[in-house]
Amino acid sequence: MNSAVKALVPATGPLLQIDGVSVSFGSAQVLKDVSFQIAAGEIVGIAGESGSGKSTICRSAMGLLPSTAEVSGSIRLGERSLLTLGEAEWSGIRGREMGMIFQNPASHLDPLRRVGSQIAQPMIRHLGLSRKEAMERAVALLDDVGIREPAMRAKSYPHELSGGMKQRVMIAAAISCAPKLLIADEPTTALDVTVQAKILELLKDLNARRGLGIVLISHDLGVLADICSRIVIMRQGEIVEQGQTAQIVEDPRHPYTQLLVNSQPGRKKLRSGWGKPGVQEPLLQVDGLTVSFPVKRNILDMLRNRTPGRFKALDGIGLAVQAGETVGIVGESGSGKSTLARTIIRQNTPAAGTVRLDGRDIGGLSGAELSAYRRNVQMVFQNPYDSLNPRMTAIETIAEPIWRHGLADRRTAGEEAARLLDMVELPRALGERKPRQLSGGQCQRVGIARALALKPRLLIADEITSALDVTTQAQILELLARLQRERELTLLYISHDLSVVSSFCQRVYVFRNGRIVETGAAQEVLTRPREAYTQELVASLHRLPGGSAAMAETQAGA
Amino acid sequence: MSIVTQPQATEAPARGRLNWTILVAGVIVGGWIVLAVFAPWIAPYDPNAVDILHALAAPSADHWFGTDQVGRDVLSRVIHAARIDLVMCIAGVLPPLLIGTTVGLLSGYYGGVVDTLLMRLYDLTAAFPFFVLVLAIVGILGPGLLNFFIALALVGWVTYARLVRAEVMSIRDSEYIQAAQCLGYSDRVILTRHVMPNAFGPVLAYAVSDSVLVMLAGASFGFLGMGAQPPTAEWGVMISDGSAFIRQAWWICMFPGLATISLGLGLAFLGDGLGQLRRRQVSA
Repeated sequence: MNSAVKALVPATGPLLQIDGVSVSFGSAQVLKDVSFQIAAGEIVGIAGESGSGKSTICRSAMGLLPSTAEVSGSIRLGERSLLTLGEAEWSGIRGREMGMIFQNPASHLDPLRRVGSQIAQPMIRHLGLSRKEAMERAVALLDDVGIREPAMRAKSYPHELSGGMKQRVMIAAAISCAPKLLIADEPTTALDVTVQAKILELLKDLNARRGLGIVLISHDLGVLADICSRIVIMRQGEIVEQGQTAQIVEDPRHPYTQLLVNSQPGRKKLRSGWGKPGVQEPLLQVDGLTVSFPVKRNILDMLRNRTPGRFKALDGIGLAVQAGETVGIVGESGSGKSTLARTIIRQNTPAAGTVRLDGRDIGGLSGAELSAYRRNVQMVFQNPYDSLNPRMTAIETIAEPIWRHGLADRRTAGEEAARLLDMVELPRALGERKPRQLSGGQCQRVGIARALALKPRLLIADEITSALDVTTQAQILELLARLQRERELTLLYISHDLSVVSSFCQRVYVFRNGRIVETGAAQEVLTRPREAYTQELVASLHRLPGGSAAMAETQAGA
Repeated sequence: MSIVTQPQATEAPARGRLNWTILVAGVIVGGWIVLAVFAPWIAPYDPNAVDILHALAAPSADHWFGTDQVGRDVLSRVIHAARIDLVMCIAGVLPPLLIGTTVGLLSGYYGGVVDTLLMRLYDLTAAFPFFVLVLAIVGILGPGLLNFFIALALVGWVTYARLVRAEVMSIRDSEYIQAAQCLGYSDRVILTRHVMPNAFGPVLAYAVSDSVLVMLAGASFGFLGMGAQPPTAEWGVMISDGSAFIRQAWWICMFPGLATISLGLGLAFLGDGLGQLRRRQVSA
């Protein structure tokens, strides 16, 4: 691999050179002999799943590792060796020569200070500017990072800004002293896709205009492939492969890289759905559904004797799902997609409209009829750890609904639960474990098994893979597609990720602000979106180039 | 596809080094429990046997802790008093714990008007110093252990209710409770099987520290003559009785005092250790 790497080094000498870096905490080694370089003005991506050490390498380059870490190897910024620096020398480099932005901008901004002064701070410190000059520059920087009315926004507090704007402020602060290198650790992971696209556009633009070198860390290979010239793939603290973006994406050599590439949502068309053609009575029918929540009344409203308004989370939604279909609901945060799921499982009461299963309004169900409805409609939740009772073992969790619904006695329910474990491809030995002893993907399989324990006809999956690594996500989706055929399920799949939905679902509803903006066959919506909002969603997708069925066949033999 | 590529979850977190706090606390509290249970066999004398000829005898080989003003063996009385004081810990903690947990569960889970009213009641109770309120209630009901326990229950339950309510409110919105509702479990099942076991940790830790307070309160009320009544051997009563002779016979007050302190410390350590253990489990 080394010879290949050398060929990539530009003649001018690298901006940042990381050579044989190993990091360990006590006996646990988290980085093993990591070497890569970044040339001035280059964007390098580091891809890897959780625990791959991709954040650790960047933290060691910024001197931000805890003091318990043992670091060996060498990290050089230009001519300077970084690992031997003292804290005083570090503070002259951080913010001045290297900037860093993080996944969650909210936790890296001081909530009590106006954003303008937070951007001005490093310039006062490093460049010796006066307060007034620094503030003027801060406003100019806000303008640079694409914030409208920058002079006014500079006076805002962080909580007055949206997530995307906070990340722009972080970027403005990081580039305020014109560093040569920006380290961006999952800068867009917490943001909606359309906002993500804009932030990436901004990074690309800064790179082009200012010659800013960028290290972009992400779990999303699609994002990296879009803006990086080179990509480094990490796994379990080691670099498994690095090279030009085109080579990594189109001709991955290492089996893990191949797995990662093939796990990207939308790479592989999953066969889902088993419905019979022809028009039939829909299994689930939603008509004019409106759900609203009271807006909190503040003291001013009380004095003025104003009644609090109600926020409409869903505003006159109508949709129908045929038996055997896989229907996707796509939307960004706050679009009302989770409210729909919660209304179908009767966690929210509609203000208007009806939800019907087999033509029967579910609003008035109670007693035995409600129990029957519960057996027909089940849901898998988003957070794999939070959705399981931490005090119950996997097998207890899966067996509980069976005997509580009187479908079997407790012993038989246990045996049935073990069969369900087989079905979701979990070893039976894991059945005795509690959630905290399982991985995220394993917990999500337990959640699926629990939902299937009552043999439902309709299964609602609300963002069930968004907390999982991409290879795990691909496995869960495949499992769901198989279970759907085997158990004759009808699926309502809710996600913010249009590429997942369109590769997995037959029909798609696009939600925005509590309304349906577009609906149609998944392929149709993805390739020929009609509405402006859907077009924006589709444009913000980061899909790997190429991507064919042939690629999917070369599955890693892991 | 197989699940081989999934990262294997780490094994159950290693127990780490032994939790010394809990061990020390366990030895102290356990020691007192053993002494209390086997008091008649361990204590060298009858705790109430008067021996006026040997009154106010200093600690010696015959009477390790000396004798009091009517010649009763202080060691035997300290050991027998452990029975009263330990029972007091339990009887003073359990009723408020049960009432408070039930109220906290219901008000935290259902919320609404009842919840709001209960919380105002809490604010009202919390506005008065604990001892003053208990003293006032015992003053109305009349002195005696039973009335003391009733007063404790009347004042103590609100703290438990508040504690449980806060836990329940965070658990109520978790996805496993939503899942339980979606699976159609009854509210009773959800509350007892899914909410309660996860809300109980802090209650247990608090109950142990609360028992220190109760024991000190019991001793204080005994001292003031409003709790256990003489001649019952109770640490507070003993200290109160001996206080008149503190110049001639320090041992009458000193040993029950030390006993009170050691059990109090033991219980406090235990509560602290349990709290740490729970936090460690949560973060694991």
